[in-house]
This record gives sequence, structure tokens and C-alpha cells, in this order.
Amino acid sequence: MRLLGSAADWLGSWFVSTLSWWQWLILAAVPPAIIALYFLKLKRRPLEVPSTYLWHRSIEDLHVNSIWQRLRRNLLLFLQLLLILLVMLALLRPSWQGRKLSGDRFILLIDNSASMQATDVPPSRLQEAKRRAGELIDQMNSGDVAMIISFADTARVEQTFTDDRRRLHRSLEAIRPTQRGTSLLEALRVASGLANPGRSAEADNVSDVQVAEALPAELYILSDGKFGPVAGFSLGNLKPIFVPIGTASAANVGIEAFSVGRSETRRDQLQAFARLENFGTASASVMVELFLDGRLQNADRFEIAAGESHGVAFPLGDVESGALRLKATTGDHLAVDDEAFAVITPPRRAKVLLVTPGNEPLALALQTKSVAEIAEVQLESPEFLQAKPYEDLAAGGGYDLAIYDRCRPQRIPQCNTLWIGNVPPEGGWSAAAKHPMPQIIDIETTHPLLQWIDLGDVMLAEGTPLTVPSGGSVLIDSDAGPLAAIAPREAFEDAVLGFVFIDEAVSAQGKRERYVGTNWPIRPSFPVFILNLLDYLAGARGGQQSESTQPGKPVSLEGLPTRAGLRVRGPSGKMVDLPAAKSGKVSFTQTSEAGVYEVQAAGKTLQRLAVNLFDAAESDIRPSAEPSLKIGYVDVPGRADWQAARRDLWKFLALLGLGILLLEWYIYGRRVQV
Amino acid sequence: MPSTSTLLSPELLARLEKMELVSRKIFRGRMKGERRSPRKGQSVEFADFRNYVPGDDLRFVDWNTYARLERLFLKMFLEEEDLHFYALLDASSSMDFGEPTKLRYAAQLAAALGFVGLIRGDRVKIETLGQPARRAAPVFRGRRSLWRMLDHIEQITPAENVPLAQGVKNFCLRNSGKGIVVLISDLMDKAGYQSALKYLVSRDMDVYVIQVLSAEEFDPEIQGDLRLVDCEDGDGADITVSGALLRRYRQTLAAFVEGARDFCTRRGMVYLLARNEVPVEQLITGYLRTRGLLR
Repeated sequence: MRLLGSAADWLGSWFVSTLSWWQWLILAAVPPAIIALYFLKLKRRPLEVPSTYLWHRSIEDLHVNSIWQRLRRNLLLFLQLLLILLVMLALLRPSWQGRKLSGDRFILLIDNSASMQATDVPPSRLQEAKRRAGELIDQMNSGDVAMIISFADTARVEQTFTDDRRRLHRSLEAIRPTQRGTSLLEALRVASGLANPGRSAEADNVSDVQVAEALPAELYILSDGKFGPVAGFSLGNLKPIFVPIGTASAANVGIEAFSVGRSETRRDQLQAFARLENFGTASASVMVELFLDGRLQNADRFEIAAGESHGVAFPLGDVESGALRLKATTGDHLAVDDEAFAVITPPRRAKVLLVTPGNEPLALALQTKSVAEIAEVQLESPEFLQAKPYEDLAAGGGYDLAIYDRCRPQRIPQCNTLWIGNVPPEGGWSAAAKHPMPQIIDIETTHPLLQWIDLGDVMLAEGTPLTVPSGGSVLIDSDAGPLAAIAPREAFEDAVLGFVFIDEAVSAQGKRERYVGTNWPIRPSFPVFILNLLDYLAGARGGQQSESTQPGKPVSLEGLPTRAGLRVRGPSGKMVDLPAAKSGKVSFTQTSEAGVYEVQAAGKTLQRLAVNLFDAAESDIRPSAEPSLKIGYVDVPGRADWQAARRDLWKFLALLGLGILLLEWYIYGRRVQV
Repeated sequence: MPSTSTLLSPELLARLEKMELVSRKIFRGRMKGERRSPRKGQSVEFADFRNYVPGDDLRFVDWNTYARLERLFLKMFLEEEDLHFYALLDASSSMDFGEPTKLRYAAQLAAALGFVGLIRGDRVKIETLGQPARRAAPVFRGRRSLWRMLDHIEQITPAENVPLAQGVKNFCLRNSGKGIVVLISDLMDKAGYQSALKYLVSRDMDVYVIQVLSAEEFDPEIQGDLRLVDCEDGDGADITVSGALLRRYRQTLAAFVEGARDFCTRRGMVYLLARNEVPVEQLITGYLRTRGLLR
């Protein structure tokens, strides 16, 4: 009995009956019918002829090989029997190790993150995932519906629920690899939308009713599983099935970091640093090549032990600007992380406008040689504010920082500002009456503007306590109230000092006299403040390297003339137009491709951005020994033994049957029978 | 010449009147006809000289030769005599095929040849293979017998299924005289035509064999699965028509015709293949003249 059972199991693993028992009975009656028909002689139309003499002789001539003739007659019978046998076999749907799909709703989550481009499963893991998903779709019974979601760090519904297999296949084919990281959570949220409908109110409410009917679904996750546990998600009516993709032999050496910085020993020299990591199980020999604007600059070759990382530095000399590309020739399974990009931005001198009726300490501090290296300072008197050039420059973002010492422009400019002894005309600033000899009681040294600054030895003659608009923060607090504060205005920041360095007052004698408002300019903290000011508000950075962004992450473009609109040229030459923005700050989101992006305005490149993968989780393409996912509190074991769905034979059988049918016709056409 | 028979058209008759039957062998007839006889005798046509022997008719002595050579020679003249012409028709069922039927065609042929014989004063006999050995067929002679002959021919019906050899043997038994015999048949006999023709050869007759075949026999327009039934013996042949079979059939037919021609030629008979769609006039005035039967 057990033997019978196991035999049935074995047969069941090979064949799936597509007909019911009575249909099989009818089909089984066909071969005997063929044989019976064969024994009933072919009915021939009689025709009277003058003589059969010549016909007999003709037939006899053809009958010289009568054994062949007889065989041929029987051959037709054999062929017919073979044909019906093939049809029956095809109807049994023979296949290898098939697995039947259960359920009637399927959600296919296809991982198309960077690591899915690994070629350890030829042609690639993504292709393999798509192939397996395609087989799942093929197995669907009529009436079953499926949905396809691709996910990297974000999820995308490729196909909503449908029972149209062709549409499903088409949508499946449309999935393209990305260079992004992996996050399953969003995909799960999308998938659970229908399976776990929300409730009308809080969960504890007993009178609560479900607003929609829950539609349980089988959730197939086709991924290499290179992401952490998914917390804070309840599967609810989703039944997850994890299909791990990838082989244990997967090897990869990836560039995990690549940056440009100043040499530790020689500050005027630039250096490129890279860190490569070997995620394989064997040591790998790696050759790296460094290109600057497409020209080979340097190369190196080294060995990285399994699981180890290796740093490499290339001196760049006094390169001012350019795009760097680091290419590692590794011969591994993942090519995405074998290239890295970095951008050397040209040292940009900040443009600073100082408008003052006369402020020697500040003017002096801004005109030192060190300041001249990083900033270009324009010194003007208050009359300049009425002039046309000022209007144009201020409105067009011509300055990085404007300092208004005891004067006030009609319009606030499109740049960061520092107000001394005055408050901006807009933004909700106001100043109280002058307070003599205010005592500084607190300073915000964590703010970049006041870092490394000690004001303990600074005395102020008088101060005007400030009312700081919402969103602003107090930098210097005194017993009279805030004496320095900073507040954001659109994309810019306005800093206000509620005290003066030098002021004029009408003396008792009726003469205008200048007096000193503070001793800060002669304290050591003053030059530090000037440097912070230029560094933070004027944006005069000493470094020459911009940061790298991960693919898919938005980049904020600041300090650029955005009024006319910007264009961004992608690594593949694709141009993206960014809409004009008044705020001077634009967000660029289409960073899906790794490489160097050029921000252009009027055909001139203003800025370059580097987009790199730099994701160890993606580069580490080794599958875990026990592939499983943790979703919420549920452990989803990987179906390591999951055989790709049924490999159906019936198509070949049907083709073979067609061939036999043709052969039969051919033989019939040649046949002569007595 | 008015005619109620459809066998021969007036135009054909007019043309036939100018012809005569030719025998390659010179036969001795019973009555003096319009033919030369090996018997030297009294005619206008000179044949030879021979020495005079006493008792010879002095009227035949060539006196001119005697004057020159002083020896008596006798002039010899060819004697003209009549010719036996036999038309032997195969009136088996197999001849009842085609459009016109092969038998009709054969009858027309026999009538035409018989007519030529009649107007030249030959003895004309039209016989069929099925005729019993002991029953003699009527003999026609002279132009006046034309209507009798045509009537006789018209009465021939295709129902005499006698083996070819048997029919020819009977013919030979009935007719001991020499002359021209024209056998008109399709030669489709399962026992073969050879023994039949050998009978004719042994009679030392001037034999013409005209094999009449219908267009359907040359190019059978049949297809599908068929059971061919022989109209004479009811024998059946199951065939499935295919290109190969038709090719093979044509080859067999060609070999058959060629075999008959070869057989006849080797034995001094004249063989002629007639297709029923070729008009009798054309056959008579064309082929038969070139083959030497008519002049």
C-alpha cells in the first residue's frame, strides 16, 4: 500500500492530469478505435475500366518491395498510434518537480536593487528572479490574479492585480535593474494595502468595523535577501514565501569609499582616497585605475584577502577641478560597485559685500591676506545701496554674504546677511531700545558661527535687545536680552548683531563724534568669528571636494542662480531641466544612475555632483548560509530547495506530434495500395 | 454518294475512292482482278521472257527478238488478280470505352479500308474476334456491296468477350486464303497478344495490327482511393492514386505499346498505334499511307 502511495507521489511529481476521468476514458478509447478503423478496409469507389491489365502490371512494379509496402501500410497505423500517445502524454503535462501554486491571489515582489545585478546566476540575479516569476505566472490557473512590485530602496507597482498573463509577463519584462540600495518595508506596505485593509478607527474599539474586505494573498519575495530585518510591519493576511536568489560562490570586490581631500603633510596638495573591500571567500587580485576627466592618471594593483578591506591613496598634485573616476578591474560577479566617482570643485572665493559708513576694525579684518584667499570683499558706503548695480547684483544672487553695518537696503538681497546695529526690514525682526552696558551671559558655541569663540573678555558699551522671529536661534544672550541671533529666510539665513563696533553720536558740544562700541575687535576671538562668518554664511569652504550621494537620493543644490532655471546633465548624457525657483535652492531627485552629474546654467557648468553606490550591504552579495527574512516577528525561511516551477514538456510533445502528422501525410501521399 | 451510314463521311469516301490497298506480298487470287499475280499471263504489263517450248501460244512470241537473235522467246505478262482483304475487329467490352468508343473507331477504320478494297474489286471480309469458327462471314466485292458491308459493320456490338488468341485462331481456321489482314484491337488481353499474332504470322498473310487506345487510357483522369473493375472479367484492382502510381502506369503503357510494336516489326507485321481522338480521316490519309497499306 505504501509502495502504491509512493508510486502515486512519484507520478504526481511528474504529471499533472488536465482532464477528468471521463475525458480520459474517451481519450483512451481513441487508439482501439484507430486500430478497428484500420482493420475495416478502406472503402474504395469502384470504377469500371477497359482493362486492369496495365494497372496490375503497374502496381506489381511498385510492389517489388512489398515488405516495405506492408510495413508502410502498418507504419501509418504506428504513426497514428504514436500521435495519439503523444497527445495523451502532452495532456498529462509532464514536467520536472513541479510545485503547484496554492491560493488565487499572488503578489510578486521582485528585488531590482544594485546587488541583483550580480552575475553569479547567469545572466543575472534579476533575470533569474524574473524568469522564476514568469514561471510562477505560467502556473497560475485561470481566474488567479497577480500583482508585480519591484523594489530597491523604494517600491514601484509594475502591475496591479490582473489575471492577464500576457500583461503580467510584459510588466515583468519591463523591470530594469537599478543602482539603489534595498528596503523591503515600502514594498511590503504597498503589497499589504489590499490584503490588510485599514480599519475605520482604533484597533481596540470593539464596535469598529473593517472598511473593506480583506483579500489574503501569497507574497512571493524574489530577492537575494541583502537587507536587514524589517521591523514594524505586520504581515496580516499576507502569506510570505521567500525565494532566495544567488549562489554561495558569489564573489565581489567593491569600492566602498572614494573621496578627495587635502594631503595631511602638504595642505596645498590634493589626494584621492579609496577603500575597497573583498566580499568573496577567496583573496582577490585587484587592479585599480584612476581617471581624471577621462585621462588615466594613476593605477595600482594589490591583493585583498577574503573579507578584508584595502585602502589606496593617489596623490593628485595641485589639480584645481575635475571629475575623477576610479575603476577597479576585479573579475567579480557585480560590476556596479567596480566604479566610483568623485568631483574636485574649483576653489571658489566667496563674494562678500560690506556696506558701512565706516568700520575700520571690520574692514581691516576682512582685508587680510588670509581672507583674500577665500573671499572677495567689496567695501561700499551706504549710498551704494541706492545704485542700480547693487539692485541687480543683490536680486540676482551676486553675493554670498552681505554685511550691513548701521544701514538698511530697500530690499533684502538674495544671499545670507549679517546686520550690525540694525535689523532686517522683513522677516519679523525688531529691536528694543538701547540698553547700556549689557552683560553677556550665554553664547551658543555649538552654532558654527560661534564655534571656538569665548566672549568672556568682551565688553559692550550698549546693546539693543532683539526679538528673534520664529525659527531663529539666539547666538548671544545678555542680561538685557538676545544680542545676536540668526534666523532662516527662504534658502538663506540672516544673522543680526544687536550691538555696534563703532558708532557716531552727537556729543554735548553738538559735534558728531565716533566712539567705540565694543572691545571685541581687539580680542583673539574676533578673527575666529570672522573666519566662521566667512565659512558659514559666505560659504567659503576650504575643502575642494563635494560629497557623494547614493543613487536615488535627492541632492539639494544651493547657492546657484536658480531664477533662470538649471539643467542637469546625467552620466549618460541625459539632460534634466530643473524649474526656475525663486528661493535659490533646488532639489534634484533623478540621481538613479551612478556617475558624475553636471549642473549647468546657460551652457556653463556651475557645479558637479558625484553619485556612488557605496553600500556595503549591496556589495556583499554572498547569500547567507540559511537564507531567511525577518518581517516583523515572523521568520520567513528561504525556499532553498525551491525548484523553478514546472518545466513543461507538453510543448515539445505537441511539436513532435505535429512532426509525426506531417510525416504521416508524406507517407500517405506516396502510398500505393492494392 | 448518298449514305445513311454515319461510319464514313462523304468527304472521306471521296478521298478513299482514289486509293487502293497495297499488299507487300503478291498473292494468287481466284478471280482476275486489278492486281498483278505471280502467275504470268495475259495482261498489258510485261514481266519477263522465257524460252519458247513447243505448245506455247504463238501470240506471245516476241518476234522482234527473234528477228535480232534468231531465237524464239516468249514474252511473259503479269496476270492481274483480285486481293483478299480481311478486317478483323476486336468487339470485346473493353473496346466500348472512350469518346468515340474504340469499337466505333475500329468500325470506321474497317469501313474505310473495306471501301477502298471494294472499289478496287478486292474481296473484302469484315470479321470480329467473337465470330464462331465455323460460321463464315459474308464476302463483299464490288462497289455495289458497300451498303451491305456498312450494314454488316454497324451490327457489330461490343459484347464478344473472347480471348484474343482464340478469336484469331478461329479467324485463321475460317479463312485459308492469303491476303491482307488488318487486326484492329486494343490488344489488352491478360493472356497476352503474342500467341494471337503468331497465328497470323503463320498464315503468311500481310498483317497490319492497329492498336486502338482511348485518351483515357493514355492519361487516366482519376484520383482518390479507387477499386478499378475490369469490364471484361470483373477483376478488381485497389489503387490509391498518387503521382508515383500514375507515372508508373504511363511507363507500363509505353512499354506495352513499344513491346507490341517491337513484336510486330520483328515478325514482318506492320504495327500502328491509333488514338481514338485522332480522326479516322487523318489516320487513313496520313499514317496508313506512310505505312504502305494504302496508295
